[in-house]
Amino acid sequence: MPLRDAISQVLEEYLEAIWRLQERSGSAKTGELAQQLQVTPGAITNTLAHLEKHRLIARKPYRGITLTDKGQTIALRVVRKHRLAERLLTEVLHMDWSGVHDAACELEHAMGDEMVRPLEKTLKEPTTCPHGNPIPDESGRVREQESEPLSNFNPKDKAVLVKVTDEKPDMLRYLASLGLMPGATVEVQEKAPFEGPIIVKVMGATYALGRSVASVVQARRL
Amino acid sequence: MRCQVWEPVSCHAVLKKFVQKVDETVALAGNPNVGKSTLFNRLTGLEAITANYPGKTVELNVGVAKHDGKTIGVVDLPGTYSLDPASDDQWVARRAILEERPSVVVVVLDASNLQRNLYQALQLMELGLPVVIALNLADHAEKIGLKTDYGKLSKLLGVPVIRMVASRGEGIEDLLEYLTKRHIGPTFPEGIPFERSLERAIDTMEEAIKSDLPEAPLGLAPRALAIRLLENDSEFMELLRQEAHASRIVELAQQLSKSIAAEYHEAASLVIARQRHGLARQITEAVQVHADQPALLSQKLMHYAVSPYTGIPIATGVVTGVFVFMLGVGGILSDGISFLWGSFASPIIRFIVTAVFPIRLISQVLLWGVDAGVLAALSVGIPYVLTFYLILSLLEDSGYLGSVAYLADTVMHKIGLHGGSIIPIIMGFGCNVPAIMGTRVLPTKRERVLASTLITLTPCSARSAVIMAAVGFFAGWQYGAAIFAIDLLVIGAVGWSLNRLLPGKPAGMVMEMFTFRRPRISTILKRTWFRFRSFMLLAFPMVTIGSLGLGALYETGYLQTLLAPVNPVIYTLLGLPAVASICLVLGILRKELTLQLLIALAAMQYGPSASNLLLFMSPLQLFVFGLVVTLYFPCVATMSVLGRELGRKSTLAIMASTIALAILIGALAYRALPAVGILS
Repeated sequence: MPLRDAISQVLEEYLEAIWRLQERSGSAKTGELAQQLQVTPGAITNTLAHLEKHRLIARKPYRGITLTDKGQTIALRVVRKHRLAERLLTEVLHMDWSGVHDAACELEHAMGDEMVRPLEKTLKEPTTCPHGNPIPDESGRVREQESEPLSNFNPKDKAVLVKVTDEKPDMLRYLASLGLMPGATVEVQEKAPFEGPIIVKVMGATYALGRSVASVVQARRL
Repeated sequence: MRCQVWEPVSCHAVLKKFVQKVDETVALAGNPNVGKSTLFNRLTGLEAITANYPGKTVELNVGVAKHDGKTIGVVDLPGTYSLDPASDDQWVARRAILEERPSVVVVVLDASNLQRNLYQALQLMELGLPVVIALNLADHAEKIGLKTDYGKLSKLLGVPVIRMVASRGEGIEDLLEYLTKRHIGPTFPEGIPFERSLERAIDTMEEAIKSDLPEAPLGLAPRALAIRLLENDSEFMELLRQEAHASRIVELAQQLSKSIAAEYHEAASLVIARQRHGLARQITEAVQVHADQPALLSQKLMHYAVSPYTGIPIATGVVTGVFVFMLGVGGILSDGISFLWGSFASPIIRFIVTAVFPIRLISQVLLWGVDAGVLAALSVGIPYVLTFYLILSLLEDSGYLGSVAYLADTVMHKIGLHGGSIIPIIMGFGCNVPAIMGTRVLPTKRERVLASTLITLTPCSARSAVIMAAVGFFAGWQYGAAIFAIDLLVIGAVGWSLNRLLPGKPAGMVMEMFTFRRPRISTILKRTWFRFRSFMLLAFPMVTIGSLGLGALYETGYLQTLLAPVNPVIYTLLGLPAVASICLVLGILRKELTLQLLIALAAMQYGPSASNLLLFMSPLQLFVFGLVVTLYFPCVATMSVLGRELGRKSTLAIMASTIALAILIGALAYRALPAVGILS
């Protein structure tokens, strides 16, 4: 794996961080990047120049930093390892919640590419990290999560909540405090006809959701 | 108005005075329906007082527990799922804890639903408060096959954990021992560990708070404030914006929230909520073992109660049963009370009043209040309201009401409400007053206004009595039934139009479905008593004072003078005799008074035989009268509770529009029915 050998762990960290920021706002700003990497903006200039020299990133004035295709491939591979590692830590090792993210940061660099596929199989092909973020597949694609409104599901269906498309933060937060948030597994128990409410079980509690609520909760079938 | 106090001072005088009188204060916190009130009643007995935060309709019960010669003040917080200030009850729960600074917060958890329950417990511990956990409903958890390691839970959380079955009194002594004997310090001084990068943000915030803000709002610990600010808690953000030196903190919080959001791909508040849930799950998995059990009877019953083919017949049966029971038992009780009052209390009161006040006018006016007024309050309160509360508490304790709300959701949506509001509306059939108080459970003002308006149109037991006795008995039962039908149509039409007129959108239903439980008599009786008492405290003075006032107008003859211009209107529009307009005015005291007065006044005018109403009113007139009585202006007690819950403006609007509506529909019926050959 010549590409892998060519870049260090630090560079992987950088590419991963740029990818996260790029996912969110289209590109990464130097300041934001420094904040995420917990270093001063001055300290990253050299590394960025190095990444640019290897054509892993592109820098444009006023637009910030974007990944090249080559950079993106590496970043996604790291993200994939990171999110699988988080799964491994929480599900197999039952590790303390508070340390999972940092431990996964260590693991993602130590994990050889040949380990990834077997790990994925052992974990029963998870599609998201414990936080509900998608795990990129082998070819580095971030699978678009196929989701549909919870109101489409029927009794005995199981689903993972993907997102809540309601703009009111109070509602989002209220649902979250009940456990109705992305990544949560729900089991549909009852469904009333004629656009009626739906009863779901989540985290051991049972809730009736009106159809207007159930239609803004997007979920993926299990 | 929310009171913006910085110091940990009580918003409410009652609470403050109360806190000073006892050796120490504890607060009971927890999710709805975990047996918090049962524990409260066990601890304090029946002598509880109810306190309100100004402008908030959520009530707190406060009482005193005694143990080993010590007095412990117990504040029963509203049942909430979290401490975010998203709704009034959550706001009050949080505010009460932060302001009253109880020496211990007893967090009551449902042992059969530990994971979800732990969420709020963790939030409370984040606030840095001394916490004792009462793991209630332990018997139920064991029955469904959950084994809990209490010692391990206590160790993991770092707080005392008590196994409790509050309904049977198990664990109460242990709790009291903890509260009086041991010192319970603030728990988790380091806070609950979130993931490290989140912890780093919290640390940064904490440092900034410590250096910039010598005194955090509401005496909040720096760490607790740091977390709330990262969650973008609107209330604390607002409190800090008013503070001169806090602008850097607000900025920092916004900046850090943004970078958390960038890192985790979701809003910081969700990241924090998610991690709390994660911790709750980890703890639950560590302390509880689930042995698979066959589906419980209660789960099967739930299925039948909510499936349309079985659920709707069951709900119809239950609701019909409730009314039959209420009107049957209520009618007997009402007759009994009137008889006893008329035979014993009334003569004594009359004797005393006339002896003390020899002037006839004064004694007559007083008798309106202390004789007729008190009887009015008692003869509605005890037979109908008390009976209704009893059944309601029974249904509530069994967990059945959730199924009714679920079934009703589709229909309720058409009138801008959701299934949850069917419960207060059903209560309205008993008495509008507690029903309107019950609208507090609805989250938005829009829903409360809508539901309250519809409740004032709901035929309460008093109006049902008029419809049945005046219309059903004299004009024919089908006409009585027709009034109920028209009323339901009016409710539907008003709801449908208000939903379109009022700004905003109907809120969706999010309601926990509780499993069916065997109702516990002691809980039901106590809940009934608390509700009945708060109804009487409100209705009794209103009805008595109202009676006095109207009595004064009537006895002095001013009422007739005042009504003189109204009578022709009533006659022209509604075709009702002059006596009817006096009855309608006096009916604002309580609706069944209209019928009693109609008979009494008619007897005065036309002689004793007029107790057969058909002698001076035609069936059509009786029908119009019944219709108007049902629709117009709610009684004084309803009006006063409306004023308290919704404010004067909405109350006046509701009053005026129901009067207009009653006259409109009454006038329409008076003209249209004979034209189509009915009741002509």
